[in-house]
Amino acid sequence: MTNESPVIELKNLTKVYQNGVEFRALDNANLRIEKGEFVAIVGPSGSGKSTLMHLIGLLDSPSSGTLLIDGKDVTKMSDKERSGMRNSILGFVFQYHHLLPDFTALENVMMPLLIAGKSREKAKNVAEELLKEVGLEGRMDHRPGELSGGQNQRVAIARALSCSPSIVLGDEPTGNLDTKTGDMIYELLRRLNKEYNQTFIVVTHNEELASKADKIIRLVDGKITVQ
Amino acid sequence: MSYELLIALRQLRARKFQTLLSVGAIALAVMVLTVSHSLLAGFTGELYNTTVEKLPHVSVSPEEGEDYIYLYGTLIERISSIEGVTAISPFLTGQASFKFKDNSLNCELRGTVPSQENQISSIEEDMVEGSFQELDFSRNTVVIGSKLAEKLKVNLGDSVDVSFPNANPLSLRVVGIFHTGSPLDESLAYTSLKTAQQFYDVSDVVNGVSVRLRDFNNDRKVANEIEEVGYNAKGWTETDPAILHTIAIESTSNTVLYGLIVVVASFGVVSTLNLSVIGARGQIGMLRAMGAQVSGIQRIFILQSGILGLLGALFGTFTGVLISLAIGQYEVPADPSDAYGSISFIPIVVHPQYILSIILAVFLLNLITGVYPARQAAKIDPIKAISSK
Repeated sequence: MTNESPVIELKNLTKVYQNGVEFRALDNANLRIEKGEFVAIVGPSGSGKSTLMHLIGLLDSPSSGTLLIDGKDVTKMSDKERSGMRNSILGFVFQYHHLLPDFTALENVMMPLLIAGKSREKAKNVAEELLKEVGLEGRMDHRPGELSGGQNQRVAIARALSCSPSIVLGDEPTGNLDTKTGDMIYELLRRLNKEYNQTFIVVTHNEELASKADKIIRLVDGKITVQ
Repeated sequence: MSYELLIALRQLRARKFQTLLSVGAIALAVMVLTVSHSLLAGFTGELYNTTVEKLPHVSVSPEEGEDYIYLYGTLIERISSIEGVTAISPFLTGQASFKFKDNSLNCELRGTVPSQENQISSIEEDMVEGSFQELDFSRNTVVIGSKLAEKLKVNLGDSVDVSFPNANPLSLRVVGIFHTGSPLDESLAYTSLKTAQQFYDVSDVVNGVSVRLRDFNNDRKVANEIEEVGYNAKGWTETDPAILHTIAIESTSNTVLYGLIVVVASFGVVSTLNLSVIGARGQIGMLRAMGAQVSGIQRIFILQSGILGLLGALFGTFTGVLISLAIGQYEVPADPSDAYGSISFIPIVVHPQYILSIILAVFLLNLITGVYPARQAAKIDPIKAISSK
């Protein structure tokens, strides 16, 4: 695509779980993801999709190998530095939205900005803008309990985007929704990807959705088989 | 407002019932502690008023091997130069046999300078008949306790015969009767210093000096200063240690007992918060993914515990003070048997600094007990928490 350095680069990245038996969840993975790409990660259950996602999301540490994000080696960072990076350059959308039930949609979207130490006013402006973007301008003051599954997932997407991350990670973001709503959410992610030129990495086992991505990464037994 | 405080407050508000229970439990314990302290402080204050305030704070006795203080004028001058001394009363005291008609009784006859003695013992306040100052105006007069008067069957104006081996017998006119409610009513009689010296057949000497201080807590310090001059001097805490023991035992046992109740109530908060940690696993995992540090997650729960403690302490001390003041309004029914002494109201003392220290201590205690649920929350693996519903 461009000759810029990749936003994410994996070099021999390996994750081994030692629960009595050794289990190589991710085996010598090498991968480059460029800025603005929409990448789908597919593969059967237990193939290492989520492990890869958690490593890139700085929620887990690799056993060996190197992970570069924005050219920085993140494998040897402290909890504080990793938390800071998760806050500033990563956005997450999971299968379950895990919105704070006692906060309104607007406040939930404001939360990453408040964690970053931004003022309430600034956070509110950004959150309102993003909730409009995902089509929830009329639902800002509703709590998660008063919203449908699809609406909550849209709030979660707005929340993932609130700190203007360079990478948005989706772990089965449509997995808990009916097909029609799932398609709508997927379309929304695709549109936002084009609009903001952010890198999107989405784990899914829905081949049809995956086929719409710029790039498909297929994992089998912890190994990247097709790129 | 930090996001930690925002989340802490919102969660407390969302769990209204549990919050109310936790705050209520702490408030109840703090209330009991506050009321108990107010009663105890009142009791202690009353005890000081009825005993220590009327005791000589420091008692000076003759040098080792001597029966009398000869140059007591000089000694008094020395003592009066000590910082914090407000009154000094020299006295000559000894045993005497009192006889009126067919009744006779032995008791202590104490010769004093009435105006100075009154500054030590406030005996004038306890006079039920006659006047203490009268001792100053006429010679060969005596002021006796009410029980003594009763036993001898003497009235104001009667003359009693006072004698003792090696003493000059005298006939003393009763010019006053006092009633303190203590055993002194039966065992003590006052006369002037001059009369006592005449009775015991001594020159112008005394065998003791009573000293009153502005702050009775300085008794040992002042006693030590007087001892440097060469006389024996003892503070009231040495001469009457029983008073201190009573106060110390009462206040320690009360504080420990009710303090433990507060601790128990605070631990109730721990279990409530632990439950809420379990219920909020997914949210905690998500907050971690959003970039909240482990310390931030911990603060959310420590803050909740602290806020519950603070609210409980505020409500508890508030109601405790109200109840204490209400108790203080209660009029003790007059009892002819004198069982309550001269108390007409239940003594209550509310120390603002003690109330503040309760609030602060309970708040700190709850911050500490909040560490356990906070650590439970910190231990949550964000990956597992996020992956489960």
